[in-house]
Amino acid sequence: MRFWRVFAAIALLAAAFPLLLRHVELRSDITDFLPAATTDEAAFLLQELRMGAATRLLIAGIEGAAPEDLARISRSMAQRLVDDPRFALVSNGSAMVGDDEAALLFAHRYALSPAAMPEAFTEPALRAALEGVLDGLQSSAAPLVRRFAFADPTGAFLAMLRGWAGEGRIATENGVWMAPGPRALVLAQTRAAGMDTAAQQQAVAAIRDAFVQAAPTQGARLLLSGPGIFAAEAAATVRADVQLVSMLSFVLVGGFLFWRYRSPMMLAVVAVPLAAGTLAGLAVVGTVFGHVHGAALGFGMTMLGVVDDYPILLVTNRAPGEPLRDTARRIWPTLRLAVAAAVAGLAPMLASGFPGLVQLGLFAASGLVAAALTTRFLLPALLPPEGLPVRPLPERMAHALLRLPARRGAVLMLLALVAVGLAATGGPRLERDLAALSPVPEPVRALDGALRAQVGAPDVRVVLALRADSAEAALQGAERVAAALAGHATIDHAARYLPSAATQRARLAALPEDAAIAARIAAAREGLPFRATAFDPFLADIATARGQPPLTPADLAAAPLLAARIAPLLRPEGAAWRALLLPTEIRDMAALRAAATGSPGLLLVDIKGETEALLAANTTAAVRWAGIGALAVLLLLAGGRGLVGGARIALALGGALLLTFAALAALGEAITIFHLTAALLLAGVGMDYALFMSRSGDQDDEEAARALGAVITCMVTTLLTFGLLALCRTPVLHATGLTVTIGVACAFMLACALAPRRGDTTSSA
Amino acid sequence: MRQAGRDGPRWSRRALLALPLAAQAPDPLAAVMASLRAVPASRATFVEEKQVPELDRPIVSRGTLAWRAPDRLEKRTLEPAPETFLVEGDRLVLERPQRGLRETIALDAAPEIRPLVEALRATLAGDIATLRQHHEVSFSGEVAQWRITLVPRSLRLRGAVQRITLEGRGGVLAVVETQGNDGRTRLMATPAP
Repeated sequence: MRFWRVFAAIALLAAAFPLLLRHVELRSDITDFLPAATTDEAAFLLQELRMGAATRLLIAGIEGAAPEDLARISRSMAQRLVDDPRFALVSNGSAMVGDDEAALLFAHRYALSPAAMPEAFTEPALRAALEGVLDGLQSSAAPLVRRFAFADPTGAFLAMLRGWAGEGRIATENGVWMAPGPRALVLAQTRAAGMDTAAQQQAVAAIRDAFVQAAPTQGARLLLSGPGIFAAEAAATVRADVQLVSMLSFVLVGGFLFWRYRSPMMLAVVAVPLAAGTLAGLAVVGTVFGHVHGAALGFGMTMLGVVDDYPILLVTNRAPGEPLRDTARRIWPTLRLAVAAAVAGLAPMLASGFPGLVQLGLFAASGLVAAALTTRFLLPALLPPEGLPVRPLPERMAHALLRLPARRGAVLMLLALVAVGLAATGGPRLERDLAALSPVPEPVRALDGALRAQVGAPDVRVVLALRADSAEAALQGAERVAAALAGHATIDHAARYLPSAATQRARLAALPEDAAIAARIAAAREGLPFRATAFDPFLADIATARGQPPLTPADLAAAPLLAARIAPLLRPEGAAWRALLLPTEIRDMAALRAAATGSPGLLLVDIKGETEALLAANTTAAVRWAGIGALAVLLLLAGGRGLVGGARIALALGGALLLTFAALAALGEAITIFHLTAALLLAGVGMDYALFMSRSGDQDDEEAARALGAVITCMVTTLLTFGLLALCRTPVLHATGLTVTIGVACAFMLACALAPRRGDTTSSA
Repeated sequence: MRQAGRDGPRWSRRALLALPLAAQAPDPLAAVMASLRAVPASRATFVEEKQVPELDRPIVSRGTLAWRAPDRLEKRTLEPAPETFLVEGDRLVLERPQRGLRETIALDAAPEIRPLVEALRATLAGDIATLRQHHEVSFSGEVAQWRITLVPRSLRLRGAVQRITLEGRGGVLAVVETQGNDGRTRLMATPAP
């Protein structure tokens, strides 16, 4: 068995992979691919994207049965989930204030309730309240009325609970939230952050289990949306796409290589540098960062697809009778230059400041170097000296391609025309919507939108944020800002649920004196059938309330519902506190902005605008570092091939990029960071072609044909892999595949056309 | 018997027809239930006296009751304030037009209301199983003049409502008296033409 060494090497590398993965932590936080924030607003937005309250919300819809059945399932699920420590808050529309919490809130009603205003305790107001109590006692709801009315005739407690009930955005039917359809709705907020994929998956599993345990009636369906679902669906879609593509491309590439080299062995040969490169990238990034970003690993492995070219170039460029070791030595200067230039192109990514891109750059650079070294030093030792036999190219095709340099003028003209055309149309369109980058499939996002709309989760476009030294100061700040902006929008904030201690004290201080309130009750009772002592509990509670200390965020252990309600709106941040105010029904954005500017320390974040600015900054930065990379590559090429030779290669490369972006623009693609990353990959591939083709100037025809054959093989394998990726729906795979497919075809044609003419001495270097 | 007039509504004739049969049954409670089951629909006017500890005189309200087997009971109060109280299946609808109030409650979700509703509804339906599910049931009297006393099984509910007493004649329910912390409520029904 002449190839046992290759198999041994592959087996060794394959064994090393899981071993290495066990020691490297994989992370998946898409915000790693957003730029570092330069403004307070951007910093805030990035933090919200990572761990804001919205990222922890799971929405369940139950449909496909009669409303009564849906309500029963909803209640059963809520009961089960409310006891699950993984959830901070579960609500399905039924009032689920526990007895302890209700008692605590009832005791503090005159401090907490917005209805506990001085005007509620005037004699006419009390008279109206007492008439209301009598009316309530006459109704069938009398037991309920009696439970609260004699201690709380002004209805401070019930007004407070009503204020919390989500402003009745969702209709309640059979005691639970029911959207048209009918569809029962259940909300669950996880304790774990949205980016904690494992915890989110568990939460999703818990909800699905609760649905099954609720013994759903025949036909009842559970719809679920939330970050956990997104992560799972995205992973599943990407995995499905990748599996299909890798299987298809394995078959296609394998078939092609088998035809070209008359042996299935070539596939194994190609795998060796690829595996070595991947391992090296993983090891280097893991050592430097302590963890590897899942996306960096994914993109990185895609980018390392380039190194397939190295063994192909080695095996195909072997002259008849030449030992493979000599071929490796002969092509090494060119290969080395190609790798150095590719690494130089990646280097600016290391300085980009996006944690994800730094990892990606480092992964690809180390992988390229390792793969090149493997090709140079390891492969010749693993393979028999005669390498693999290569089937010659069809003569007519080789002839036509080798004659392309004669048509250089036409090609240059075409490039100039395209450049002018692209410039005249303003270049390709840049993507402005963060959602377009999301790997989450469109139907899943559509369901999320529908459920969110039904739940009445406000479409938050603007967030006001303020920092303060203490929770009390943050609550006071929220009250002040909300009061100042009240005319311009409806504002939700933490102090609506838990007023600042100062406000609570002020409310209690404004309660009438014992004697005064007793006299007013006596007067208000005149002519009504209440006994003289009927409202004694009310008088006693007012007296007690006056002596109570205010309720503060630290006291909320006994009030889980209240705690869960203010958690997204008030939270500690290091030693300080952050309060969020969410304006909805904004009547006058300009006035809101102006009023917000008047409050020192207040941050107004326009989510959509800020996201777009972030993406634009991201893309601009990417273009800038691509430019710097291009410059480094030019310098390196000029050093390796002389000014003219370098310019020739740079022109082939630049031309390929130009044609690619023109084609993308013509296809209506909006350019994302994925296209730009793919362009980098493409530049690396294109460089190999141009470098190896341009060696042909001082070679004999046979050698030129071999070089051409090698490059064509490289191109076909790349097309077979990336062409399939272009058919995927996942944005990152589609963008990468499309860009590379178009680009590689262009780079190949340009490399042929711009190669030195036969016998053209100016190019010798 | 007053309701046994010649031109009385159909339900009362049926109730009377059921009497002789029921009277022969060894268990008078089962016989009463059978008589009640034999009434598919009925209408009545009611007067309700509600005594509340905090009030120095009872609240008196008047209105109509309408029953339709198997599970629809409507109590329509006309004075002092109009109100509709309707239970059908698992749904309870409480409507007070003067206050613009309309509330739907799922009885499954209201373990403290369901026994109170079933006390009345399961009795009208002659459904002793449901009655026993929620209450301890005792019986006195005979088919022609009976009294059923219910004590809620739920300890939590018994904290608020200690006893419900129902009185009737054959398949006709005449008096419902509820004794609870909220005072005593006595509802007297008179079959309507």
